[in-house]
Amino acid sequence: MIRTLDDVSKFAQDKGPKKLAVLAPEDGEFMLAVKKGWEAKYIEPVLIGDPEKMKRVAAEVAFDISGIEQIFETDRQAVANLGTAMLFAGDVDMASKGQIPTSYIYRAIIKEETKAGTGRTVSVISLWEVPELKRLTAFTDTGVNIRPDLKAKIEVVKNALFLFHILGYDRPRIAVLSGKREIGGTPGSFTDAAALKRMADAGDFGECEIIAATSFGEIFSGSGGTLQNDKGIDISRLPDILVVPNLDTGNVLCKLDFFLPVHRRSLVMTTRGPFLIPSRSDFCESILGEIAMGVVVAELRKGVGNR
Amino acid sequence: MIGTFKDILARSKETGVRKRAAIALPDRRHLELLDAATQAGLIIPVLVGDGKMLEALRKGTGLAASDWRTIHEPDPGQALSRAIALVKNKEADILVQGGTDHQSFINQVSDAKTGLMNSRLMSYVSLYQLLKREKLILVTDTYMQNQPSLTDKQLILEHALRLAALLEIPRPKVAVLAAIEQVNPSIPSTLDAAILSKMADRRQFGDIILEGPLDIDCALDQNAAARKGVHSEVTGNVDIYLTPEMDTGYLLAQLLVYIGKMQMAGALMGTSSPVVLDLPFVSAPNKVIEIALAVLLACKGGIHE
Repeated sequence: MIRTLDDVSKFAQDKGPKKLAVLAPEDGEFMLAVKKGWEAKYIEPVLIGDPEKMKRVAAEVAFDISGIEQIFETDRQAVANLGTAMLFAGDVDMASKGQIPTSYIYRAIIKEETKAGTGRTVSVISLWEVPELKRLTAFTDTGVNIRPDLKAKIEVVKNALFLFHILGYDRPRIAVLSGKREIGGTPGSFTDAAALKRMADAGDFGECEIIAATSFGEIFSGSGGTLQNDKGIDISRLPDILVVPNLDTGNVLCKLDFFLPVHRRSLVMTTRGPFLIPSRSDFCESILGEIAMGVVVAELRKGVGNR
Repeated sequence: MIGTFKDILARSKETGVRKRAAIALPDRRHLELLDAATQAGLIIPVLVGDGKMLEALRKGTGLAASDWRTIHEPDPGQALSRAIALVKNKEADILVQGGTDHQSFINQVSDAKTGLMNSRLMSYVSLYQLLKREKLILVTDTYMQNQPSLTDKQLILEHALRLAALLEIPRPKVAVLAAIEQVNPSIPSTLDAAILSKMADRRQFGDIILEGPLDIDCALDQNAAARKGVHSEVTGNVDIYLTPEMDTGYLLAQLLVYIGKMQMAGALMGTSSPVVLDLPFVSAPNKVIEIALAVLLACKGGIHE
């Protein structure tokens, strides 16, 4: 079972290198992460992007890319399409977003999934390592669906469960989050939570448990529980998967690693392998960790098939 | 500038006047809170409920009968409206939520005739003390409005600015949060944020600096923002975070408390006199801070009127 980011890097060292298509590594932090990933033998990179920019940032971080496979393309959508097509054709084991707005990537993934006839709803899973919690936890969907309806949330849950099952979490605990509180009636997010819980209870999602709590207050204090002081907070009550009500919430919560002592690794589980989604504002260490996570997922999904 | 919860407490004590805090149907936990606030020199509790029961409760605490006043109201269904009436008639300065459930409490406080609202809506501001430096940040709305419209957000912002003024935050820096920092017509929160941003540019909110839409990484980190091409005084130094809607606001407020282990105290805004809610995710010591804040708000009458 992959419990910590330390587990992730050890595993990646052991099972690497994997072939990684990097889309627009046109920023020093990204190129440095690719360099370090290559040096650590996590990856064999294929760099796709603007030749001038890639050359310049590679020089900035003292990365000799003359021996590295490169594909030159300046159009943003074309870069996204190329890398995604390589993943779906099996030319690479995994792909990663570089300095390119994520919407281009989602468009390319959705196009390839449609072409492959998988019917897969694309969703982003943002894994967190939280201090003192001896396992990973994830927010999802943090990137694609703006206002997911119940049907979309069902797919979001299934995508996350597939990842957690291959990471070795036999029966993940899931909370479907909502802004439902003591006042203000029943928001749509809560209705969805209740419906998803009924489905999980009926066994529709396989091995997992959707807990009744829909907010952090309920997760940590129980329904109606009162916070006495922060020493009473038992972090082990945090579920494995946190399904967020909408894109604004998911994105705001999952990127709190810029503020709190947690680490984030974001990826899309496509039907052909992991697609890494670092934020354009992430720094080298975080992107490198993301690459290691990709290696782990690319390895563990082998032989498992798809969900 | 008031930079810590301790400062709020100290400033509140400095006012030198104990404010009369009305509470209906308190239980033991509420009395312990009032006891702590009274010992701190902040308030004179005014308890509304059955006289005998209140007296029995009081005997379990360390306080003398002279420390409080009681209003005998044998009908529990009338206790809250009497407490609200006391505040409305200036016989009390602050309303503290006692043993009334949250929805009924809010309903009575917001009643157009007998309630205490003096704004078109009420909003809730969560205050956090930063861990690494002496600065308070405000996050709003984190409890009241499910799906605020743009005009609602204007009011929610104005309410937060009043609180920022009370905390003497000079030229407040506001981040209007959304999923992304770009304006995307298919993500409504980014449109509201962009409009608020333009309104602020035209100085429609006075002397503030507002950026929006900002995603949380741009709001929190100046370097992160710069790499996304956002250059602003606001990034990395935000005083007020305006949330897009309640799913985000409520969950963000709680995550910072439970996973971030940050200290939070809140204030209800939009009422003619301060009202202190009894929210389960505010710890007991921080509820005393909320009362101290209410005292400060009550002293600056203009803030609430």
